Amino acid sequence: MSILTNFSPHKYHGEIPFLTYKLKSWALNQALEHSKRTVLLALLVTAFIGSGVRFIFLDDNIMNTLPKDIDSRRIWDEVIEEFKYTDFFFVAFGNPNEKILNPDALAIAWELTEKFENVSQVDEVISISTLNRMDSDDGFLVVGDLMPHKNMTEEEVASLSDYLKNNSNISSRILSKEENYINIIIRPKSDNDFPGLVAAVYDITASYQHQFEFHFGGQPHLTGAMPELIKTETQQLMLLGLFIMAAILLINLRSIPAVGMVLSVIFLSALSMMGFMGWVYHLTQTPRFSFSMVNTSMPIVLLTIANSDGVHIISRFFREARKHKDVKKALTMTMNQLMLPVFLTSLTTTAAFLTMVSSPISTMTGYGATIGFGIMWAWVLSSTYLPAVINLKKWDMNNAAIKQPSILEKLIHRFGRSLLNYPKQVFLTGFLIVAVSSIGIWYINVEVNIINLFKPGHEIRESTLFLDREMAGSMNLILKVEGDLKDPEVLNKMIDIQDYISAFPTVNTTFSIADVIKEMHKSIMDNDPAYETIPDTRGKINNLFTMYSMSGDPDDFEALVDYEYETGLITAMMQSVSTKEIVIMADQIDVYIEEMGTEVLTTETSGMMMFLKDFTTLIVQSSINSILLSIVIILFITWIFFRHWKFGLLSVIPLTSAVILNFGLMGWFGIDLSHFTALLTSIIIGVGVDFAIHYISEFIYYSKNGIGADEISRQVVDDVGYPILLDVFSNMGFGALIASSLIPLVHMGGLMIFAMISTSLGTLTILASLMEINKHNLIKLGNG
Amino acid sequence: MKKLFILIMIMSWSFGLTGNELVQKMEDRITPNDSKVDMVMTLTNKKGKSRSSSLRSITKDDGAKQIIWFLSPADDKGVSFLKIEHDDKDDEMRMWLPAFKKIRRISAKKRSDSFMGSDMSYEDMSTRQLDEFNFKIMGNERFQDVSCYLLESKPKEHIRTEYSRHITWVDSTLFIPLKEESYDKTGKLLKEKYFTYTVIKKYHILTEVHVTNIQKNHSTTLKFENIELDRGVEDSFFHERYLKRLPK
Repeated sequence: MSILTNFSPHKYHGEIPFLTYKLKSWALNQALEHSKRTVLLALLVTAFIGSGVRFIFLDDNIMNTLPKDIDSRRIWDEVIEEFKYTDFFFVAFGNPNEKILNPDALAIAWELTEKFENVSQVDEVISISTLNRMDSDDGFLVVGDLMPHKNMTEEEVASLSDYLKNNSNISSRILSKEENYINIIIRPKSDNDFPGLVAAVYDITASYQHQFEFHFGGQPHLTGAMPELIKTETQQLMLLGLFIMAAILLINLRSIPAVGMVLSVIFLSALSMMGFMGWVYHLTQTPRFSFSMVNTSMPIVLLTIANSDGVHIISRFFREARKHKDVKKALTMTMNQLMLPVFLTSLTTTAAFLTMVSSPISTMTGYGATIGFGIMWAWVLSSTYLPAVINLKKWDMNNAAIKQPSILEKLIHRFGRSLLNYPKQVFLTGFLIVAVSSIGIWYINVEVNIINLFKPGHEIRESTLFLDREMAGSMNLILKVEGDLKDPEVLNKMIDIQDYISAFPTVNTTFSIADVIKEMHKSIMDNDPAYETIPDTRGKINNLFTMYSMSGDPDDFEALVDYEYETGLITAMMQSVSTKEIVIMADQIDVYIEEMGTEVLTTETSGMMMFLKDFTTLIVQSSINSILLSIVIILFITWIFFRHWKFGLLSVIPLTSAVILNFGLMGWFGIDLSHFTALLTSIIIGVGVDFAIHYISEFIYYSKNGIGADEISRQVVDDVGYPILLDVFSNMGFGALIASSLIPLVHMGGLMIFAMISTSLGTLTILASLMEINKHNLIKLGNG
Repeated sequence: MKKLFILIMIMSWSFGLTGNELVQKMEDRITPNDSKVDMVMTLTNKKGKSRSSSLRSITKDDGAKQIIWFLSPADDKGVSFLKIEHDDKDDEMRMWLPAFKKIRRISAKKRSDSFMGSDMSYEDMSTRQLDEFNFKIMGNERFQDVSCYLLESKPKEHIRTEYSRHITWVDSTLFIPLKEESYDKTGKLLKEKYFTYTVIKKYHILTEVHVTNIQKNHSTTLKFENIELDRGVEDSFFHERYLKRLPK
């Protein structure tokens, strides 16, 4: 006869629907009576699911995952469609204190340019070897090459140097202020493959790095380089995190097999999760299930959740084994008490992650579904494989690991006693902390500055700052101008707008078709600087273009003005600024243009940064929606399973407190809410939901088993507090991410720690004290 | 049997022709002394947007002397261009800019420069000299139902050019080019050119040239209308003073 027949569903969890009870009994029976078969079957099914790993599609290009239906993206796409891609990849090379305008360096600039031009992702290369010069030759505008050939003579270099000195609008783009670095500007064909572009550029420049210092910058570079950096650092720091996790588990569980069992659940869950992702991609080919940079956090999140399941079961098993001195009995007691909360935590966490399907980032749908599957598979393994493995091991009941409580167990025992002596004070303190921090929410700053994604000293950050300081800058702002672009009035207004934009301290230079016309005008008027102006008649402007067409390439202006001369671009090359700063700047430009009168032209600001600003706002809104929806769903699920709304409400209190604390403290401490932090916050909410469910479930269990009001909270804190603390402490290993040089990973590590500490403390202080205060009423509800 | 003999004779004569001989035959074609034509030049970019200009051209000596006046669009009307080619020195090119009331000399430093913003470069408009290219007949092919020689022209090393070679479909009886493919320095197809002719008097005169820059996906169509030949234009007509006057 099975040991299970000694337990009644009503005795242990009267609120469990009968079907769930049957499922639980069946699973437990399989694990205990057919342990080997259960283990083998679990391994085989996991191996099959895990075999989908080979189908995982790695999509390194974050641009592919961004939404295309935001207004600013639409405007930006229109600009790209009409003109060319607007964001540049900058490559600066040279040496400090050495003049770069010499035949050898120029020959290398020529070589590099040619090599960059042959990269499949490159549309055009703007460099000293591709730009034109306009000279006046007997009054005629002669369009020639700045560098007519690769190997320039000293005389030609001197002529080039003179020309650049007299044409700062060209030299500011391709030469550093001290003339010791050459800037090569790469225009990508599209945003389809920035990682490939970055890899190709790195590869080309590698063989020149012994001669020159290289600095890389620009949005395509940052976007392209980031995934590889994140991947590399995550792999290293995750391994360190896993090692720390294993060490903390070992210190507390004091049993290598027990630690191995927890880690095996973690590993198998992670394998099945990744396999699931591969299979879905293979079967559906939907890019939503491709593995992008956003998905990097997925394994870490799953590890913490799977660890939580395993830790609760193993630590509870040790406690029960200490009491009963019998493996089967201890295991049965453990699983009877934990099967429901483990299932419930898995269900609520999965539900929380599934709310990500509404995210504007397409791959977040796959993220939510995949991690949801991983969590549910971790539950299956924790409910079948783990008890079966525990059952197969010959445990020594006299071993210290079982016989004696661990350090954390003793700690939580003492902590629980003192805490529950002053429940009102504890609750009030916790409530006040949350209330005060909630004020910080009003001070939250939604802002992204790309260079702040890297810690000071990071190569990319320093290169970007170098380009900002010494060259034309590392980003740009695009102003789309519509009007008659051969009308002197329109062109003069463009010049006024450019002058206004250039006055911003963050703007290094601006250029548009108006600059070209001014230069042509000067050339035709025998290089007289007085004529570096827009001509006074439309006829003259037209004559200039006709004259240019006699020796210039018709494509020379295609990035500046459209075919019909009705739409043009003003490009401001500037230092890396935040989305907030760019919006302020764009607003001021709009006001200026409105004040100057816009009868003859209309303008629209565009570019990557304008898109990023809208995108960040969208992500923040979507993440907040996702968090609120998660809380509501968790409330309803726990309400249904615990059969009273009060328990539902109680189970979301620690989580809600953690969310308020998180955003409030971000506001108080001036941590910007970016699309990265917003996404991570919503992810980590899923991690922090478990503790309250375990606590309430245990409370109801003891209510039904006649534990009195005097002891119930202490008993619950003793039983649940230990695994909660062990879970929290072991997950502290992922705090190793804080050591990353990439701020998104630092945030991830920080938020992981914060979520763990805040939700566990929220459970063991606010929730525990609140339930202690209302214990009489709650015991009745638990019994009812 | 007699037909077969004639066919063999024609074939042996055809295959006996060398590249240089074919080019010589093309050069030896009779051409008018001078011509006056109205041209419509339509440029079409990769997005399918077009821009048209109409021009009037008077040429002499197979294009060695030429004046072009812009008739439209209105913004360009009055702009004119004079070219005189010299064998012993650089070509002379002048432009009249009516809005500035100035005549300016044009320095065509690069033969690969675009001609008036079109897909044709100055090089495309020049005659290929026998001493500058290696010519080879690659075979025969029918193009638009016309039997053609496939003529390969490879520039000699000292020649400044944007091309590595050209393949021309030359009408095997009239010795006029019907189609040409031009390849860039890396050997990739750069331009495709199509030529259409009409017979006026005894001459085969171009009525349309269509050039597509394959790599830029940009094309130019040049249509020739109101063609008048052998009007007896004097050499003295090709002078700056005529740039300012639009002939009727």
